[in-house]
Amino acid sequence: MNNYLKVAIVGAVDSGKSTLIGRLLYESGSLHHGAANDVENSCRLLGRDFEFAYLLDSFEEERRDQLTIDTTQVCCKSKNGKEFIFIDVPGHRELIKNMLCGASYADIAVLVMDILKPIEEQTKLHVLILKLLGIKNIILVLNKIDKVNFKESAFVESKKSIDKFFQSIGLEPGYCLAVSAKEGCNLMDKSKETPWYQGISLFKALEKYSGKLPDTHFCFSTQDIYNIDGQKIAVGPIISGRIKKGDTVKVLPSNRKSKIKTIRSFDKNKSKAAVPESVGLILDNMESISRGCIISNSSIPKLATEIKVKIFCLVSLNIGQKVKIKCLNQDVLGQINKINRIWELEARPSSPEMMLENDAYFAEALITTDKPLITEQFKGSNSLGRFILENDKEICAVGIIS
Amino acid sequence: MSRFLYLNELESKSIYIIREAYWQYKNNLAILWSMGKDSTTLLHLVRKAFLGNVPIPAIHIDTGFKFKEIYEFRDKYEKKWSLRLIVAKNDDAIKDKMSIEKGRFDCCNVLKTATLSQVITRHGFKALLVGIRRDEHSIRAKERYFSLRNKEFKWDYQNQPLEVWSEYYKTKQNRDTHLRVHPLLHWREIDIWRYIKRERLPIVNLYLSRNGRRYRSIGCQCCCEPIESTANSIDKIIKEIQHTDISERSGRSQDKEKEYMMQKLRSLGYM
Repeated sequence: MNNYLKVAIVGAVDSGKSTLIGRLLYESGSLHHGAANDVENSCRLLGRDFEFAYLLDSFEEERRDQLTIDTTQVCCKSKNGKEFIFIDVPGHRELIKNMLCGASYADIAVLVMDILKPIEEQTKLHVLILKLLGIKNIILVLNKIDKVNFKESAFVESKKSIDKFFQSIGLEPGYCLAVSAKEGCNLMDKSKETPWYQGISLFKALEKYSGKLPDTHFCFSTQDIYNIDGQKIAVGPIISGRIKKGDTVKVLPSNRKSKIKTIRSFDKNKSKAAVPESVGLILDNMESISRGCIISNSSIPKLATEIKVKIFCLVSLNIGQKVKIKCLNQDVLGQINKINRIWELEARPSSPEMMLENDAYFAEALITTDKPLITEQFKGSNSLGRFILENDKEICAVGIIS
Repeated sequence: MSRFLYLNELESKSIYIIREAYWQYKNNLAILWSMGKDSTTLLHLVRKAFLGNVPIPAIHIDTGFKFKEIYEFRDKYEKKWSLRLIVAKNDDAIKDKMSIEKGRFDCCNVLKTATLSQVITRHGFKALLVGIRRDEHSIRAKERYFSLRNKEFKWDYQNQPLEVWSEYYKTKQNRDTHLRVHPLLHWREIDIWRYIKRERLPIVNLYLSRNGRRYRSIGCQCCCEPIESTANSIDKIIKEIQHTDISERSGRSQDKEKEYMMQKLRSLGYM
């Protein structure tokens, strides 16, 4: 069995994201009696019909006000036994932090749009965030087709305008589906309500994808040094690739070469290990290895004190602002030195003196660091190619290395 | 064996989180151990994370209403795994004869949540490893890996911190607060059982069917109902879970008492 595919369900407020996931759980038979009973009781109390969204929206406030406040995850199995994790995210702009949290775990995304509405600003923002996060596989769901009497013309029109938007930002959705989450139309199988529809069902589309593959070069991030019976051991996760006892590796940032003497896992030694294991490594020379050091056999990770980045900011950041940069277990101080470009939904005038007093925008910037930072160019999911900025213990931006 | 390779990823993510918590909190970190399948799995992951040792204390919140099998299991593995065990009891409330007769909500709140609060204060713990999972309950599904509780023990679920990718968590907190760390959040019930099988972990025998019934989730004796089941081995339990449409905590009374009971208990600091 392969690992399950993690699917973020994104889109604007009230496009029907939680309802879609709730319905998928129901249609695929992944629903427990207890969960359905809980929703039934809650709906009876609120005087409403059965709401599929309440399977996800479990907080009292979410059900009462009919909105998703925080991200959640549920498991679902298709008829062919393939397993998915669906990640529900809120659509409100003020809750973009929670959307980012959920979307960052995803392998692929389903973008849900209300077929009755023109493309909303939040829809565009979500797509731009997916693009930054390296999530290029996007399934487009034009939802609420029941509200337009399952008519083809509405679907064609809506598809045209969204295609144009995707083209303008250099992305292409993998599939574009006509769906009614509420009625369960084109979710598991093709629906009789839409005989004109040439596409496939949502589950069929989801089954075409698989998770992202990690790189092949060996890379280990040092989380901590444990001292066991007088022996120093570097512990941490293998981020990519594989290693054998006796292999020659390079320790960054010191750039010193060393040999793998022992690979520890639990209470025994191993002769080899591979991604995604968390192990303990003992090298010939354990001197100056500490948290944040990268142990690798490749020349891809590079040391730099100046990095060119693309960031998504959750608060306004100024030129000259000091920030903490965290990349894997590295933790260095830095400064935003230059901003080349800012964009939100449309490009803003270039070279502004200061970032605008606003949250949730993108920027291309140059960051200088007080100590060398080990990074790689971002290629979609490599951990050394992405980072966060912190200000006063809070994450203020997420970014990728250009 | 290759069927279960995905367990390596679940395991590694949990170990990463345990090590991040320890890096930040060292001696102010503890693990809550109820001897159930989840927290025993978590304890095993702690042993793996620290390469065989358990450098942090294990806390048992003892309501006095647990099964005798639970106590036997605790005493056996406390010795076998060389644990520093802290048994926490709310003596005053037990003296006052707190029980479900005074209401399930109050009983859970006083014997579990208040006891936890006492032990945290007494030992100065700043962070606790807790073995909750998203698929147990839709309220737990809303949790973060590093989840803050304020001085009053409250969970501010309307304003949870940002966690990104598998690497970045808000591991620091301010004075007067503590963190709940949830390394098993992404595990499902079936993953736990597959892992128990793969790692040959011991379990309390209440999970195995006897006379056509077994416990699927174990808490206090008075608030736990066994389910009908013939699964008398781990393999059979795995098979049973694959085909059931009954939820895991269906035998747990505190989930069903009233609307949003779990949310209210959790917002007051329940596990």
